[in-house]
Amino acid sequence: MNIMTDRKTTAAEDALVERFDGVASSLPGANVDWVRKMRETAMAQFKALGLPDRRVEQWKYSDLRAKMREAHETRVESDAISESDIYDVLGVDLDEMLSYRLVVADGVFDKELSNIDGAEGKFEVTSLAETLNDPPAWFEEKFGKVNPQKNEAVLALNTAFMSDGVVIRVADGAELDRPVHLIMVTGSTKPGLVTTRNFVHVGEGAKLTLMESFSARRTPDMQRNCVTEMVVGDNAVVEHVKYQNEGRMAIHVASWLTELGQGADYNAFEFAIGGAMARHQNFLRFNGEHASAALSGAMMLWDNQHVDATTVVNHDAPNCQSRELFKCVLDDKSRGVVQGKVIVAKEAQKTDGHQMARSLMLSETAEFDSKPELEIYADDVLCGHGTTSGELDENLLFYLMARGIPEKKATALLVNAFIDEAIENVRNETIREAFLLRSADWLGEARG
Amino acid sequence: MLEIKNLHAKVDGDMILRGVDLEIPQGEVHAIMGPNGSGKSTLSYVLAGKDDYEITEGSIVWNGQDLSELEVDERVAAGFFLAMQYPVEIPGVGTMNFLRSAMNAVRKARGEDELNAAETMRIVREKAEALNIPLDMLKRPLNVGFSGGEKKRMEILQMSLLSPTLCVLDETDSGLDIDALRIVSDGVNAMRGPDKAILVITHYQRLLEYIVPDKVHVLSKGRIVRSGGKELALELEKSGYAEYGEDEAA
Repeated sequence: MNIMTDRKTTAAEDALVERFDGVASSLPGANVDWVRKMRETAMAQFKALGLPDRRVEQWKYSDLRAKMREAHETRVESDAISESDIYDVLGVDLDEMLSYRLVVADGVFDKELSNIDGAEGKFEVTSLAETLNDPPAWFEEKFGKVNPQKNEAVLALNTAFMSDGVVIRVADGAELDRPVHLIMVTGSTKPGLVTTRNFVHVGEGAKLTLMESFSARRTPDMQRNCVTEMVVGDNAVVEHVKYQNEGRMAIHVASWLTELGQGADYNAFEFAIGGAMARHQNFLRFNGEHASAALSGAMMLWDNQHVDATTVVNHDAPNCQSRELFKCVLDDKSRGVVQGKVIVAKEAQKTDGHQMARSLMLSETAEFDSKPELEIYADDVLCGHGTTSGELDENLLFYLMARGIPEKKATALLVNAFIDEAIENVRNETIREAFLLRSADWLGEARG
Repeated sequence: MLEIKNLHAKVDGDMILRGVDLEIPQGEVHAIMGPNGSGKSTLSYVLAGKDDYEITEGSIVWNGQDLSELEVDERVAAGFFLAMQYPVEIPGVGTMNFLRSAMNAVRKARGEDELNAAETMRIVREKAEALNIPLDMLKRPLNVGFSGGEKKRMEILQMSLLSPTLCVLDETDSGLDIDALRIVSDGVNAMRGPDKAILVITHYQRLLEYIVPDKVHVLSKGRIVRSGGKELALELEKSGYAEYGEDEAA
């Protein structure tokens, strides 16, 4: 497939191709053969594919090529970030979150702002840049190979341009007493393209809560492409949470590539309220039997926001369970997209998979697109999907107002009743409570 | 004093109330009885201010204030409360959270201090106990999975928590067994007072044995066609609504 030869390239595509030649020699791992080749191969793939547009089935509702008219300068340096920038990310006191803190500022891992005191014997963190410059054998063996996807241009772009990120190794059997909070902030007020990659290896039987937070308050028009590869060991228990509160004009594309071992228990959640155009892709593969995964998300959108939650779950092993619940609250001219694909391999008998997407439309001009897909090659499986879309129930609104609650507050109660069902899927209490508070404030902010 | 004068109202384009005249002085309990389709529930929704219930003529004045000009929530702040025939279930809204939101919204609108969580809990528990509402009901989402009787008790609980002066009870007796009827009636009787006006809307006389009205009115085809003392209810029980056009207007 070579789309770029069939059509005129866009300014953004040309800029990305040109820019790669300029920065390739200064990117981390430039002196390591396999890393350099990996980047070059990825760039060649991007040249062949171009930015995904609506002609690419998986991107038909989210035409990145049309949305990303130009590519900003690649940002590989950190600008001054202060404690208060980090404090502002979640809007709650992060000290109260009692987390291990990892900060990636403008695409560069910031050791000074990070704090993992107490991690000894449980987990190790290195920067991706350092690791790419001097990669150990175990890293070379796995990196870039976790649940690989074919013909995904944004993954290819990430591999070509990745500047930094974190490499986390959780020891076998280690139980982390508090979440690891990976905070992606930007300090610059100039627009920029930030490309980061994280690699997480969770040992057998280990327990980890990893939260990724994104915020670019000072850089409303940030362009971000971030990837997290994660290997979840046998019988490990992982909660992987994301908070996406990018700037009002930001383009945000994130991809999680995850593989689950036997008996693993994986709970992923995304809370998305930011960005002009944001897409979170969750690629999950079951490699061992008796593993279970829940993928869920809450999106609260207004104005012209376009946010996409796309999941691709490969059941490659028998006796595994997957659950998906995505809920969108859509106001003004916003657009929510939920795509869920479940592929059950021939040998994955007794697969139990269910997905549900629901939207609450607060305006007549909002749009919700839901596309569930099932590809089943086994004959003894239980798979289902459902989609609903509705408006606020006038009878419920009347009931609340007939108890003295003003319309705005009554609406907020109903919006939160709807969205909080999804947020309740977050297991970590501190994070869940922070999200519930955030969702409670949302309507007031959206409606001024 | 509640003064309803020449009240005409449309629902979905159909004229349902065709000139209701009714006065309830403070301190009195009145009952409205009538056949199905006579406009009883419409009257209660019009008083509450529900959308799609359009007043085309007439007025509703409570203690000198024109209720028809107020929003639904503003009427509650002004002292109005409607105990509904079919309380809705609201999944995802916790009962305690809802009660506190309602109490504080009304307090705020009346210029009173808002209650904190502990104060709310104390007041709610006390009132809930009197209505035989178990605490675990308060921990569930509002009305979700409640029986018909539990929903009606929840209505009366809300009524007692919001300190209304003008109470309308729409078919509060429907779906209640005799024990629940007694508990609910005790709750309503506890609301009686010299500054309160209470309107009980019912199809059956049974409820009025427990909540004894000062006056009974018969609503038929959207108008009050007869008024009398509490003995009128007994008479209706015997004769039925045949002469008032049962179901004709349904």
